[in-house]
Amino acid sequence: MTEGKPKRVLVVDDAALVRLYYRDALERAGYAVDEAMNGLEALEKLLVAPVDLLVVDVNMPQMDGFTFLRVLRRQDLPVASIPALVTTTEAGPQDRAAAREAGANFYLVKPVPQDVLTVYAGLLCGDAP
Amino acid sequence: MPLIRKPSPAAPDAVPARDPLAALRDGSPDERFAAARAAGGLPGGVPALAGALSREADPRVREAILTSLSRAGTPEAVAAILPHVHADDANLRAGTLDALRVVPGGLGPHLPGLLADPDPDVRLLACDLARGLPAGEAVALLVPILDADAEANVCAAAVEVLAEIAGPDALPALEACARRFPGDPFLPFAVRIAAGRIGARTPAPDE
Amino acid sequence: MSEAPPLTGEELRQLCEFLYRRTGMAFDEAKRYYVQRRVTERMGATGEGAFPAYFARLRADAGGEVEQLINAFTVNETYFYREDHQLRCLSRDILPERARAKAPGEAIRIWSVPCATGEEPYSIALWLLENWPEVDAYDVEIVGSDIDTRALEAAQAGLFGRRALMRLSPDLVERYFTPAGPERWRILDDLRESVRFTSVNLVEPASTGAHGRFDVVFCRNVLIYFDDASRRLAAENLYDALVPGGYICLGHTESMSRISPLFAVRRHADAIVYQRPREGSRD
Repeated sequence: MTEGKPKRVLVVDDAALVRLYYRDALERAGYAVDEAMNGLEALEKLLVAPVDLLVVDVNMPQMDGFTFLRVLRRQDLPVASIPALVTTTEAGPQDRAAAREAGANFYLVKPVPQDVLTVYAGLLCGDAP
Repeated sequence: MPLIRKPSPAAPDAVPARDPLAALRDGSPDERFAAARAAGGLPGGVPALAGALSREADPRVREAILTSLSRAGTPEAVAAILPHVHADDANLRAGTLDALRVVPGGLGPHLPGLLADPDPDVRLLACDLARGLPAGEAVALLVPILDADAEANVCAAAVEVLAEIAGPDALPALEACARRFPGDPFLPFAVRIAAGRIGARTPAPDE
Repeated sequence: MSEAPPLTGEELRQLCEFLYRRTGMAFDEAKRYYVQRRVTERMGATGEGAFPAYFARLRADAGGEVEQLINAFTVNETYFYREDHQLRCLSRDILPERARAKAPGEAIRIWSVPCATGEEPYSIALWLLENWPEVDAYDVEIVGSDIDTRALEAAQAGLFGRRALMRLSPDLVERYFTPAGPERWRILDDLRESVRFTSVNLVEPASTGAHGRFDVVFCRNVLIYFDDASRRLAAENLYDALVPGGYICLGHTESMSRISPLFAVRRHADAIVYQRPREGSRD
């Protein structure tokens, strides 16, 4: 990602330190990062300013990550198809299935190393080396 | 002047008067929503709400059930909410946590049990609930997690809250925790930020 | 009193996180200057020279500092046509949509809560007369409610000073008000009689429920003062006070995303608003 406007990522996680950790990795890789603290806040932000990629936690107050993705994918708007990377502490097979069903493009189990995050971000943004 | 002023009919769209405890079981979603709001104050309401919570699939009705149970706030009501922190459905887990957060008088007596739950995801969510306690009590519950919990993700959730509320006394436990999980990429980062925030809150001798 | 140093990015993040959790106010980095100014103001007023010390005071809510800071953000002053982008949204998008859902002869109902001394419900009435071409085709019922009965008495009297009218053009003041003493204006009786005032307690379901159901609720800058439990109950009461498909407008710093998942967020050209979904309704 060396030319043009930086790709924009919305990090959706209720834990401030996790958002900061993802922000740190993504900004060093050249992305512009915005944050939301739950699925509802993310929906609100996307209606105002669409992004190129979502990084989404599962367990969050008010609206969890799976419900957020389901609601987003149902919208009759361009934002409905923004690629989404789900990161979660829930590692069971039923959780992976739930993530896929909700519309996640990739599913990473926490803790996610920063370089792994940026590799997947690049894949989903079409910036793969 | 086309704007009108007339006395409103009293509750014009009110759901037809029916026994809320019956409506809670077999009404339409709107009727169940209204019934859930009414049931909390009725005799037998809490057990009826507890039963409804286990079978209700409409997320909005579920919200109303959880609000009524958390408002009731009795040990029986809290006991009806608690098991759903284990729910498979992430939406119900989120609703459960939100309801537990607003139980009057807080969850104090339940937190030690939740923080010792065999399911690491429950322990993780319990760390976040500790945020609602007075700072001293929360620190006293969360520092032992840093010392002993086997899951790095649970420790990370404790660090998240401690970063906001702990004093310098917690710094050694934070640093020891990061050392306990040498392969974990996130904890050292989180502990460094937490230590920075705690340090900034601590008056330096030369200021 | 020396000017406090600017907040670092890290401090600003901590503060915004706290405000969002505690009050439901949402600020992003674009609003940084606005946040910075208000916090500096409060640091000056409390004599806290450094952010960490101020933040500790805020977290402990010493001296009611949370309320003081919210006050600094919301400018607790009401005047005609405040946040007029929402009024524009009302006449351009919300009312045409709600009007289509109405049976012939069915009134469109609008609730201003809390209405304080009446500026907001009267603004709605005035705005619709001036800006909604369909206003003659529908019955529009406007209700203003507040918990403060003294404010309601003032609202009913309909007397206003110069500051309350500062956003209205001289032409509007001329057409809708009559001078009533030095620096005082009284709103025309026709307009005064078009708004009904009632008392309400937002956290009491029986109290909100007695008002029936509305197409649009304006509920600005009050939920941020509530604690989590009251805010959750008030949001549920407001949801119950809307017809399916009805809208709620919050203040410009407020976000329903911290308060309740009952509503769907909708973006119109002039404002973000929240809607009671139509599904499962008897609309």
